Amino acid sequence: MTRENKQDWSRQNDLVKKADSRRNLASWALSAPALFWLIVFFLVPYLIVVIYSFLTPDIYDVKFEFSLDAYRQAFNSAYLNTFLQSFKLAFLTTLLCLLFGFPVAYFIARAKDKTKNALLVFIIIPFWTNLIIRIFSWRIFLAYNGVLNDVLMNIGLISQPLEIMRTDLAVMLVMVYVYLPYMILPLYSVLEKLDFTLLHAAMDLGANDVKAFFHITLPLSVEGIFAGSLLVFIPSLGAYLIPQLVGNQKTLYLGQVITYKIKNIPRNWPMASALSLTLLLFVALLLFLGYMLYKHQKSRRIA
Amino acid sequence: MKQLSASRFYKGMNLTAFTLVMIFLYIPILILVIFSFNDAKIITGWKGFTLKYYVQLWGNQSIKEAFRNTMLIAGLSTLVSTVLGVLTALGLQNKKFSGRKLVSALIYVPLVMPDILMGVSLALLFNFTRVNTGMFTVLIAHITFCISYTVIVINSRLEGFDYSLVEAAMDLGAKPAVIFWKIKFPLMLPGIIAAALLAFTLSIDDFIITFFTSGRGFDTLPIYVEGTIRRGTITTINSLSTLMIAFTLFLVVITKRVRKAMISAL
Repeated sequence: MTRENKQDWSRQNDLVKKADSRRNLASWALSAPALFWLIVFFLVPYLIVVIYSFLTPDIYDVKFEFSLDAYRQAFNSAYLNTFLQSFKLAFLTTLLCLLFGFPVAYFIARAKDKTKNALLVFIIIPFWTNLIIRIFSWRIFLAYNGVLNDVLMNIGLISQPLEIMRTDLAVMLVMVYVYLPYMILPLYSVLEKLDFTLLHAAMDLGANDVKAFFHITLPLSVEGIFAGSLLVFIPSLGAYLIPQLVGNQKTLYLGQVITYKIKNIPRNWPMASALSLTLLLFVALLLFLGYMLYKHQKSRRIA
Repeated sequence: MKQLSASRFYKGMNLTAFTLVMIFLYIPILILVIFSFNDAKIITGWKGFTLKYYVQLWGNQSIKEAFRNTMLIAGLSTLVSTVLGVLTALGLQNKKFSGRKLVSALIYVPLVMPDILMGVSLALLFNFTRVNTGMFTVLIAHITFCISYTVIVINSRLEGFDYSLVEAAMDLGAKPAVIFWKIKFPLMLPGIIAAALLAFTLSIDDFIITFFTSGRGFDTLPIYVEGTIRRGTITTINSLSTLMIAFTLFLVVITKRVRKAMISAL
């Protein structure tokens, strides 16, 4: 290589570097507004939650005196029970959504291309309908003098109206109803890509449906199951509106307790902060575990 | 042959599951719609057809105000979050961007947090800074939770972007502004529409974050509906809900483009 060539090459390299740094600057400038917004209105508020969790409650506000009372109380048996209830609800909701969602996602994934989109729209319409309206419609359906009881009594199946509204069962039912699309859609997107010739091959080789399902379909849809489960489990943990509107006040869930501490008087904002941070910690832990599992799965597939 | 019949059995099972889930998803909504025309004060049996609750709805000032508030907040937060979404997605296009990880993390983390946490943290921010809660604070909150969605939806559209078009235009001497408006923007448009639609719906739908950030006297529709249900005066809620469902159906059924955008937004 001649000297001139070398110089030319390094000059070009400089130009590329300059262009790169200019593009980098442009990227910073383009993302700056959103970055600024999220730092001020997403990150900073969490810092304030951390600060408030170490303060002393006042009837309407907080006193700026250091205290560990909130954390001491948060790990007290009454609140531990709330956490347990919320976990149970979130876990059962996820499980039931998976159980009902899987065959539905599978059915849509294996439908003809034309019908597929129509079927998807049917899943998506409730998803795009206002949450509070969907919850409200269940109140009409399940109420003591509501439609379900009316129909069942007219058929003669029951002689007394069932008291489903304002029970844990009603909460469970509406939770599954609301979160089912969140499970079906990620499952569908994985199952849609699934190579069904594998299934046929397995069956040609003598595997029965059950075997083929557990050895091929299920392992290959693990990513969808993960995504769907996280999408259902995490918001379920903090559910407020559903237990508030169809549940009773005997079983309180985490979302309700946190909301009461902020909204009801006497207020206890340090307590709400401590509970929120504990919830945040659980979610972070869960996501971390999910991420590790995902990585493990991925490395196994490559191997 | 035995296997074939087993396959059919599973197919039948999936069809049954699908049908049951459809009934499960639609029965309550159907009943709600039917009962909005029921001439009864409380939810008991069918008492005859009436439109009077729709008339009452029309005359209800607080519903009208809640509707105006909802549309105002949804419109403004959609506008701001979509603009921020476009800018950020364009910034993230640069794979060598040194802030890529930081920006992505801040975009994705709010999505995987339960909504209530954002509500609590914003409520405390506004308390700490002594800002009066109302329209302004609700707007800030809505923009905050919409940004993540708009960035992700627009960004996913840019992933499959055909850069040969941009390069061809550059070779032909087109100016950056021309390249943006004539090539990039039209190609981004479906993503932008999907993002805006998602932001708008999320904003209209939100209860919990609004609940934490709105002061007394500033009701959006979900806040108004919840309060009304709690107070027990629910007759107009049936008709209001029916109209809101009709609005969703209208969006889904009328335009193929919107339907496609809705599916791709998820």
